[in-house]
Amino acid sequence: MSVFVNKETKVICQGITGTQASFHIQKSLNYGTQVVGGVTPGKGGTMHLNLPVFDTVKEAVKETGATASVMYVPAKYVKSAVQEAVEAGLELAVTIADGVPLKDMLEIKSMLKGSNTKLIGPNTPGIITPGEARLGIFPEDIHNQGSIGVVSRSSTLTYEAVLETKRAGGGQSTVIGLGDDVLIGMDFIDVLKAFHDDDATKSIVMIGQLGGAFEEAAAEWYKKLPNKKPVVAFVAGNAIPFGHKMGYAGDITTNGYISVQDKKDALSDAGIKVVNHINDIHLALEDLQ
Amino acid sequence: MNIHEYQAKRVLQEYGIKIPKGKIAYTPNEAKKAAAEVSPKGPWMVKAQIQSGARNKGYFIEKDAGSEGGVRLVKSRRNIASQAEEMLGSTLVTIQTGPTGKKVSRVYVEAFIEVERYFYIALAINRVKAELTLLVAVVKDHDILKLALSRPEDILRISLDIGKGVDKETVAKVIKFLKLKPRSAKYLTKMINSLHQVFMEKDASMIEINPVGVMKNGELVALDAKISFDDNALFRHQDLAKLKDDCEVSERELQAAKYRFTYSEFEGSVGCIVNGDGLALAAMDLLREKGIGTACFINVKGGVDKDKIASGIKIIMTNPRVEGILLNILGGFLRCDLIADGIVSAASEVGLNVPMVVRFEGTNKDKAKDILYNSRLPVIWADSMEDSIEKLAQALEEAA
Repeated sequence: MSVFVNKETKVICQGITGTQASFHIQKSLNYGTQVVGGVTPGKGGTMHLNLPVFDTVKEAVKETGATASVMYVPAKYVKSAVQEAVEAGLELAVTIADGVPLKDMLEIKSMLKGSNTKLIGPNTPGIITPGEARLGIFPEDIHNQGSIGVVSRSSTLTYEAVLETKRAGGGQSTVIGLGDDVLIGMDFIDVLKAFHDDDATKSIVMIGQLGGAFEEAAAEWYKKLPNKKPVVAFVAGNAIPFGHKMGYAGDITTNGYISVQDKKDALSDAGIKVVNHINDIHLALEDLQ
Repeated sequence: MNIHEYQAKRVLQEYGIKIPKGKIAYTPNEAKKAAAEVSPKGPWMVKAQIQSGARNKGYFIEKDAGSEGGVRLVKSRRNIASQAEEMLGSTLVTIQTGPTGKKVSRVYVEAFIEVERYFYIALAINRVKAELTLLVAVVKDHDILKLALSRPEDILRISLDIGKGVDKETVAKVIKFLKLKPRSAKYLTKMINSLHQVFMEKDASMIEINPVGVMKNGELVALDAKISFDDNALFRHQDLAKLKDDCEVSERELQAAKYRFTYSEFEGSVGCIVNGDGLALAAMDLLREKGIGTACFINVKGGVDKDKIASGIKIIMTNPRVEGILLNILGGFLRCDLIADGIVSAASEVGLNVPMVVRFEGTNKDKAKDILYNSRLPVIWADSMEDSIEKLAQALEEAA
C-alpha cells in the first residue's frame, strides 16, 4: 500500500519528447513505473522511448487507460497541460516546472475545484512510492520501501528527510514534494489525510518552511483528528531576518506575520513532534519505535 | 518586479482610477515646470521616486538634502526647485531600504488634493486558500505593516472571484467596515473592479494603494500606489518589462537573475551554494546556531549548463563579505557533476581563496567527486548537512 501511486498506476507523460522528460521517463521506466504513453501535440502516432505518443491527453487516456500524468512542460504551458489532464478526468497530475505565473495558478486552482484531478506541484520533485512508481525527478537510489510517509514543501529538503528516515532504520511508504512556488496544488492537509487513510503508512515526516500559512492550516486540521498517526516535523527558515525580501511579499498583510517559531508552536500544540534540526528527524523517528 | 509610484499610478489611471495630476522630473528646473503644468496654484507634493514604502518617514543621508523625508508638501512655487534639488541625487533611507538607502534620480511633482480621510486598499493572494484577496483597513500613519503585525484583525480580508467583478454585498461590507458615506459606494465599486482588472490583465502579484484619499464629494483618489508584477509572467508583458529599473537591484542580484538563479544577501560572512531555497534556509538555521551568519546564498536549481553554473558560483566567490563557502547539492534534476565542473571553471577564473566545504548527494555524485578531486582544489568534503556545517565552522576558526 501507498498513497496516490503504486506499481499498478498507469502513467502518461505530457511533454514526453523533451530532453529532460526523456531522461527522467527512462529512469522512471527502469524503476518499474508503469509509464504507458506520452503526449506531445503534433507528434501523435509516433513512438518515443518505445512508448506510443499521442496528440492529446484524452486520446492517450482512451488508448492506455492511464490515471496519472507527469508533466515536464515549461511553466508557461502548465495551465493548458493541467486543463487537458482535468478534462480527461485523470486522478493525478504532477507538474515539475517552476515559475508558473500566479494568475495561471489561480485559474488552475479554480479548475481543480470540483474536478476529479489532484495536482502535485508546480516546482516539485514529484512523488515516489519506493520500489513501485516514480513520477518526477527524484534521485531513485536514495529511497527504500518502508512505513514512513514523507511530505515536504521544499524540494531539496525532501531528499534530506528521506535520508533521515533511512538513518532511523526505516523506509518510506510514499514521498511527496508539495512544491516551492507561491501557489501549489495539493497541500499538507491533502497529503496527511491520504497518509492517515493508508494502512502501510505508520508515521509521517513533514517539512515546512517560512512563508504562507500552510503549516498552521495543517496543525489545525491535525489537532481535530481523532485517530492520529505520529508526525515528526521540521520547519526551515529561522535565520531569515524579519522583513527580508524573500518569498511572497503579500504574506504579511494577508496572514499577519508568521515566524518559523509560530509555525513550530502551532504544530507542537497540535501534538506533532517538532525538531529544531533537520538532522534530528531520525532521533525523533527512533523515539516513536 | 516592482515599479515606481508614478509608473504604478499611470497604470491605475489607465484602468479608470483617479489619481492627482502629476509629472515626473529629473532636474530642479523640470520640477518647477512640472508644478506649473499640474496646477496653477499650490500646494504641491514633491515625492522622491525610489522603490520603497514609508518614504515620508525616511531621512536623507546627505545633510544638504534637509531634515524632511522623501515626501514633501510645498506651498509656494518658488520653493519647488530648491526642494527638488535637495532630494535629487541624494540618498533616501527608509525602514525598507536598509541603512545604505537608495539614491533618488527623479522626483514626482503632484497637485495637492484636499481629502477628508484616508484608508488602505490592496489586492494580494492568500496562498493557502489560493484566492485573490481584497484587503482594506483604516491605517494610522499609513503604516500597514505595523498594523498587520500588531492588530491583524483590524484588516478586513475578502476573497474575490477571479473571473468577475465585485458584488454589491462586498462593497457594502467594505463601506460599513471603513465607515464611509454611502455616496462613496459607486467610487469604491469602480476602484475595486479596476484593481481586479489590473491584477488579472497585467499579471500583478500585489497592488497596494496606501493611502486612498476620500474627497468631500465621496470620490476616491489614489494618493500613493505600489504594484508588484509577477516575474514569471513578464514574458507576456513586454511593455511592463521595460519599466524595470536596474538601479533598484544590486549588481549581484542582477547577474543571478540573468541566469534565473535566486540570490539573497544578508549580514553575515558565509556564502551558500545550494539547489533549493529550503536547503539554504536549513543550512542558515544550522549556521546561526553556531553563531555564524550568512552573507548570501545562491540557488542554482534548474542550472542546465556548466557555464551558467560557473557564473552563479562566481557571484559567491567574488562577494567580498564571503569568508567561507558552503556548497550543498542534493542532485535530482540537477546533476552533481555539472556543479563540480562549474566550481572548477569558476575557481580557475577568480580563484578559490576561502575555505570551501562541499557536500554532494544524489544524481552523479561520484562523478562529481572525481572531478573535484582531479582538479586539486583544496575543498573540504562533507557527507551530511550537519557534517558540512561542523567542518565549515572548524575551517573558519582555523582561518581566523
